[in-house]
Formats: sequence, structure tokens, C-alpha cells
Amino acid sequence: MGTDAVVLGAGTAGMVAALRMAAAGASVLVLAEGEGGLPLAPAQIDVLGYRPQLVLDPLGELAGFLESRPDHPYRLVDQGEVAASLDWFLELAAPLGYTGSPRLNRLQPTAIGALRPTCLVPETMAAGDLSGGGSVLVVGLRGFRDFHAPLLAENLALAHPPSGAEVRARAVEVSLLGDPRDLRPQLLARSLEERAVLAELGREIRSRLEQEEVVAVPAVLGLERSREVWRGLQELVGRPVFEIPTPPPSQPGQRLQQHLFRALRRLGGEVRLGARATGYRAAGDRLAAVRVMTAARDVEIPADHFVLATGGIGTGGITAGPDGELREEVFGALVSRGGAPDQPLVEYMATQPLDRLGVEVDAQQRPLGRGGEALFENLWAAGAALAGAEPWREKSGEGISLATGFRAAGLAGEARA
Amino acid sequence: MNTLDTDVLVIGGGSTGAGVAWDSALRGLHVTLVDRQDFATGTSGRFHGLLHSGGRYAVKDPGSARECAAENRILRRVAADCIEDTGGLFVSTPEDDLEYADRFLAAARAAGMEVEEVPVGVALRDEPRLNPRIRRAFRVQDGSIDSWKMISALLRGAQAHGATVLPYHKVVRVIRQGNRVEGAVMEDQRTGEEVLVQAGCVVNAAGAWSGQVAQLAGCEVGVRPGKGVMVAINHRLARAVLNRCHLPSDGDIIVPVRTVSVIGTTDHPVADPDDTECSPEEVHQMIEAGELLVPGFREARALRVWSGSRPLLPKTEGPAGAGDREVSRSHTVLDHGPRDGLEGLVTIAGGKFTTLRLMAEDTVDVVSRKLGKEAKCRTRTEVLPGSESHRFYWIGNRQQEAETDPPDDPLICECELVSQHDLDTVVARRPAWRLDDIRRALRVGMGPCQGGFCAFRVAGMLHQEGRYGRAEANSALREFVQERWKGVKVISWGAQARQTRLDRWIFEGVYDLEHLPE
Repeated sequence: MGTDAVVLGAGTAGMVAALRMAAAGASVLVLAEGEGGLPLAPAQIDVLGYRPQLVLDPLGELAGFLESRPDHPYRLVDQGEVAASLDWFLELAAPLGYTGSPRLNRLQPTAIGALRPTCLVPETMAAGDLSGGGSVLVVGLRGFRDFHAPLLAENLALAHPPSGAEVRARAVEVSLLGDPRDLRPQLLARSLEERAVLAELGREIRSRLEQEEVVAVPAVLGLERSREVWRGLQELVGRPVFEIPTPPPSQPGQRLQQHLFRALRRLGGEVRLGARATGYRAAGDRLAAVRVMTAARDVEIPADHFVLATGGIGTGGITAGPDGELREEVFGALVSRGGAPDQPLVEYMATQPLDRLGVEVDAQQRPLGRGGEALFENLWAAGAALAGAEPWREKSGEGISLATGFRAAGLAGEARA
Repeated sequence: MNTLDTDVLVIGGGSTGAGVAWDSALRGLHVTLVDRQDFATGTSGRFHGLLHSGGRYAVKDPGSARECAAENRILRRVAADCIEDTGGLFVSTPEDDLEYADRFLAAARAAGMEVEEVPVGVALRDEPRLNPRIRRAFRVQDGSIDSWKMISALLRGAQAHGATVLPYHKVVRVIRQGNRVEGAVMEDQRTGEEVLVQAGCVVNAAGAWSGQVAQLAGCEVGVRPGKGVMVAINHRLARAVLNRCHLPSDGDIIVPVRTVSVIGTTDHPVADPDDTECSPEEVHQMIEAGELLVPGFREARALRVWSGSRPLLPKTEGPAGAGDREVSRSHTVLDHGPRDGLEGLVTIAGGKFTTLRLMAEDTVDVVSRKLGKEAKCRTRTEVLPGSESHRFYWIGNRQQEAETDPPDDPLICECELVSQHDLDTVVARRPAWRLDDIRRALRVGMGPCQGGFCAFRVAGMLHQEGRYGRAEANSALREFVQERWKGVKVISWGAQARQTRLDRWIFEGVYDLEHLPE
């Protein structure tokens, strides 16, 4: 039994490609070795934040950015397509209340108190744009190791948004769930879905609130019922509340993942986790099937179209050997350093050898073989698998994944028609 | 200027200096120990962790072998908590000369080592990862020793006997009155304040840096720093220390220590003992060498690479009759009185971690005689703080503690099972300045994530407790991230390369550390 399209990788790029193909009527199967990158992700949609100076208008500055970085994956998509993919995502993620504009970056605090540019955020983070300054009550939860309100607030108070507006911040610590214990984000998120626990948090915050306009909390406001939890807390506190992302496991990332998985299932698609692609079968210029290792056995999955969205070294799509050999794991596609240096630099905060690593593609996003020709006419690459970007330093990862995943689906659709 | 009076000023807070402080204090001398950084940051904190049986030196340097065999027994008695009784094997790989194995056995016995040949089948049963093509195997009393714990125990012991210890106090001037050294001026590296320590005798225990210290006093010590590279692997690849049975060379020891295995080492002369850069070539040399002892070593997850500077002693400085080798691994006490006409200064030069106690005994024998306060050395029998139960450390200790007495405070470091309570205990004992000091005390940041998760937690908690100001917390975190990068940047392959990407995601994507205010 065949499927129209197989997508390798269940991160942002893979899910976007799968959803767009499914929306166009294709039967789609998503395969992922692990559980996809989304549970790690802060779930903010970055488009372009630094080039290296701060970017205020991501879409408007894209062309200028590409002049200095001609090998960047944004070269593959035109500005209109980037905008279209973001519009499409806003609609797709409407139940999570994503908001923002690709023409104006927001400046949201991080868990240590830096003011970080990003483009679209879920509604639970919407009140956290401090571009125009503001006064924030930062609420820490005693026993939660990954969020230190006093340090966050002190750093945040020194942030200088380009508007010149002042940011004021004050920290308070709240005890939740009895004595301070080892509070994991999952436990906090589950507990806050209970009315009594949420009420306790609301009471605590309200009693400490002074003149602050907004209230910041770590991103643990529920998982399945985050919308209710967030709204409930705002009502209890009487001020806008926003979440600040914390290190993995990320609750907002899991919310987004669950939403995208469900959306795909509703369109008749399937996500199969724990399925590692180990090889393929070609038929002339075309890819006929991928071989997949599942818990029980090796299976061959034939399809008409394939998308490679397995990411880079961080997610196992590409591996590095001790002898310096770089390998794209499924198809042996051409891997390049994307203009990064061969040898590591002493300074950590610099472009390092693995930072821009990815597969090389043609103008149609088709991965190249070692000879420099497209490997297959029906295989497209998207997202962090592409060479040339430094997503975390540039704050560009989700934008690249959305735009190239969206386009990969479009190219597959054209091939189908 | 703040002034302290003391019998013995010890310069250098590595194993040698800490040993001298403990020995001096037990003999009733008042001792003050200083280091330009935290303790155990030089060579002692940068070695492979091998408690020598003596086997490594048996053929080439019988004197050192004898010392190691004897000192190994003593340390097991007095410092059990710092030692893991792993045992050791010397094995003849297919590339090693079998005739050497006979010489090894005879020399090991002559050196007083407990050594027995075991059938290859038995060695392979005990060590399933060992190269199945080995041809002979000898069991010896190697162990692994935690240098941080050891030095901390020595210093705590010394302090309990009245010693003063001053980390981050760098010697800037040696005070001379004619031909006599009368003390030194230290600069506190944290505050910039100077402290004068007036001493009856100054002991230069700066190891690979002792030439630099001697220069401040106006004399020469010809110690040659020899750089050794080590790689930590994220598994205990062996139960025992694995040694190649051949003339010692590069990359022929694998030491299971704490949660990792360490392969070492190289030996390159360097001009500056602070030169600790490791090249990719040196790392690959270690990995390939590991392959010969443990096939598949290449596929194991390399966690981190580092190097240390041995204080090698040229023959001209060494003890008489040191043999035909170029440099000695043994030690010598240089009394600068008869040697250079400069009284009040003694340098303890050369040596190795395993013989730290003997080095200290020999040094304090000279020092106490010079001070006219001779007393019997007690370090052979005096048990160090923490080792009173005489139970050896065991890799399961932390897990066992966590299971029998489940902590109800947050775990800061999952890799090494460090809780907030552990952190509080350490910083209460001695205010830490840098996150790296806490790492040495607790192993936070030394596991697979190399600080990706725990560094921020520690910085945040210390800020919350008022031990760090805002800027201090930021710079401590930045500095730690930079320091950890140093050890992973040349091992960017396999699972650790993947980990460095996750860490970068956290530091740049989640925190945006790069754009944090100063």
C-alpha cells in the first residue's frame, strides 16, 4: 500500500511540509527517528534577529542579509514565499493564538534576562514584547532549577530596547506545591492545570503585585489546557501574564508539536515516531522507497515524493566522524560547512566549524550527490538540514524551516500536477 | 598591607604543596599555603587519575617503581575515600614485545610490587572490552585517585591543625634580606589587595611553575614542563586500569575514574606550563592508541580533552645516580642554602601524584631541620579527613546515597547527581569565586552535557543566595561556558558533537547569552 509523500523528520520543517501536502490532498507519512525537535524548542517563531546587528524588520532586511550571506538557505525562497509561509502558519496555529508580524520583530525576555528578537509568539507569550519598554513582575517558583527570577529581573532592567524606552523589572519567588522540591517543568505544567494550584499561584502573585504592568512566569502554564491556564491566571492576577521559555523539555514546544501532529491526523496523515530511515531504493532518477528500521523489523516504504527534514548534527540527520568525515545519514547527500571555518576558534561565541553545516541543494531544494547533481528529482530538503545558516545565533531557525518546508511541499505539489 | 607570620610558607596548592602543608601541620609547624588560583588547578587537577602500582616505571626507572609501590600502600591506608580500588592490568598487545613482559615481571617483583601473571582467558573474562588478541596479562595494584578530593582532604586536615590556606593569592615579590628569603608578598587576584607573609622558611612547591617562582627569589630551578594530553570517555570502558606492557610511551594507559575513563597521555616539552592547548592531532593519537587496548574505542563517546604540565627534572637537577634516563620522574629537594647561597628557601622539584606524601616528607624533613623544630613525620599513619571509615570510594556511592536518603532538594546536575544541598555545603565551606572551582569540588559540568544544563542553574542559585552579584553571575556563566568549550572543541564528532549543538541551542537560542548585558 503506497503513500503519496514521505517526510523524514518531525520538527518544524517536516511538519510544515507534511501539513501543506496533506492540505493539498496528498496522503502523507511522517517518519522520525526520535520524537522530533519540537519538544526542545521555545516555540517562538524566529525569522531573522541578528545580521549580526539587531534586526527590527525581518522581512524587509532579508535581501540585505542575503547580500552578506549568499549561501544562506533564505536564498532558496523569495520574500513573498517567506511571508506566505508565515501567514499560513499563523492560520494553522490559530488555536494556540500565535501572533506577530514578519515586518516587525518583538523583543522578548529570555530566562536569564536578555531581550531577544523573535517574530511570532503564541498567545501565552504575547504580552512579553518589551520593545516599547514596560514594567515587569518576574515570578520565580521556588525549587524550579531552570528559572532564576532575581538574576532575570536584574539583567532585564539593564536591557535597552532601540526605542530608548525603559524596562523595569522586579523579582518575586513563590512557593508552590508545598515545600520547595525538585520541580520539573512537566510536573509544574500538569499541576497548574488543576484549579486549586492555579488559584494558589494567582493569589500569591496578586498579593505581591505593586505597580507592574505585566507579569512574567516560566513557560509552565499547562500543557493540554494551556489556554485556560493562561487566561485563568490573567484573571486571577488582573494583569497581562506572559511565559518566558526555559531550557528543554519545553512545554510550549510540546504544545505546538501536539497541535501539529493532531492537525496532520485530521487531514488523514500519519506520524510514526521511533522509525529510523536507514536507506533507500532508487529507480532511475527517482527515489522509489525509503527503508525504515522500526522496533519490530525493517520495512520499505514506497512513495511518489519525499522530503528530507532530518535536521543537522544536533538532531542526528548529519553525523561527524572522528576523522572529520561528515555524512548525511539516509541518502549520503553532499554535506558542506556552509562557509564556516575548518578549525575551531578559541572564542565560543563565534562561527564554529559545525555551525553552518548542512546538505547542499540545487535551486529546487533537491539535495546534491557528491558529483554535484541533484540526487533524485522527487526528493526535497528543508529546514535545519540545509547548509549555510546559524539559526540560534541569527535567530532564524523557525523562519527557515517554515519557508523551506512550505516550499518543499509546493515543489512536490507541482511535480504531482 | 595585611601581614601574616608563619613558620612555613608553601607556594603552590597542588598535590605537592597540599602534602607539604599537611605534613608540616602534623609536625606542629604553623603553615600558610598560597596559590595563584584555586587549589588543584595546575598539573594535579589535570592528570589522568592513576594511582600508580609502580608497574609503569618497573623496567625503566626501578627507583620510581619502588617509591610508587610503597606509597600506593600508604595512601590506601590513609586516604581510602579518595581512591577507587580498581586494580590494574598490564597486557601485551600484538604490537608489544613478549620478551619485555618477562623483564617487566622480574622488575616488578624486584621493586616490591604485588604482581601476578593471569591467564589471558581470565583477563578477558574480567575485562570483556579488552583486545582479545592480547598475549600476556599481569595483575597489579593500580587504582584511581580523585585529585580534587585528595587535595581538598589534605588542606582540610592541615587547616584542622592550624594551617592557613589562601587561594587566588599570587606571589608577586619574594622578600629577601641579603642572602636570606624571609617571606613573600601575595596579591589577592580577586580584590587586588596585597598580603605580606613573613616565614621562617619558604617552600617552592609550584611544580611546573617552580622555575618561575625561583626566579622571583633570584635563583634558577631547571624544571622542564612536559605537556601531557588526556581524553575522557563517557563510559567506564574497563573495570581495572589498563596498561600496555611495554616501555612507557604515548596513549598507553586507560584509567577508569569516577564516571569516565581517561586515556593518557603524551609528553611534549613546552616552554610555558600554562600552554594547555590540545591539537586535533594529539587527540587522534590518543583515540588511535586506545583502539589497541580496547577495540571500538574510536566509537566511544569522547567527552572532553585537556592537558597538564608535568614538572620534569633534568638529570643535572636530579638525585645522584638517577640512572641513564634523560629526565627523572622521581623528585628531589633543593635546599637553596648550600645550592645557591640563599637561605630560607627550599624547592621540591619533580615527582608525581602517587608519591606526593613521600615528596612532602622529604621536604618537611629538610624544612623542620632548618627551622630547628624537628619532629617525626606522621603522614604514614595519620588518616585524612573523610577517610576515617577506610572504605574505598566506589562509582555507585552517589547513587547509593541518593537511594538510601532520597534528597528532597533540586538536583542541579543529572549527569553527576549533584543536589542543591551539595552545592550549599561546598560554598559554605569555602566561598567559591568561579564556577570552575565548584566544578572541581562537585563535578558539575563534567558529565556528558559539559555544563549545558547545570551551569545556568549554579550561577542562578548562587546569585539568588547573594553569593554572586548580577554581573558576577553573568561573567561566571560566560567564563564557564568558554572554559568548557576549550575541552570539547577538538572532539567534535559523534554524540558529543550532537551535544555541543544542543548546548549551543540552549545558550544562544534559549538564553541568548551572547546579547546579555555585561
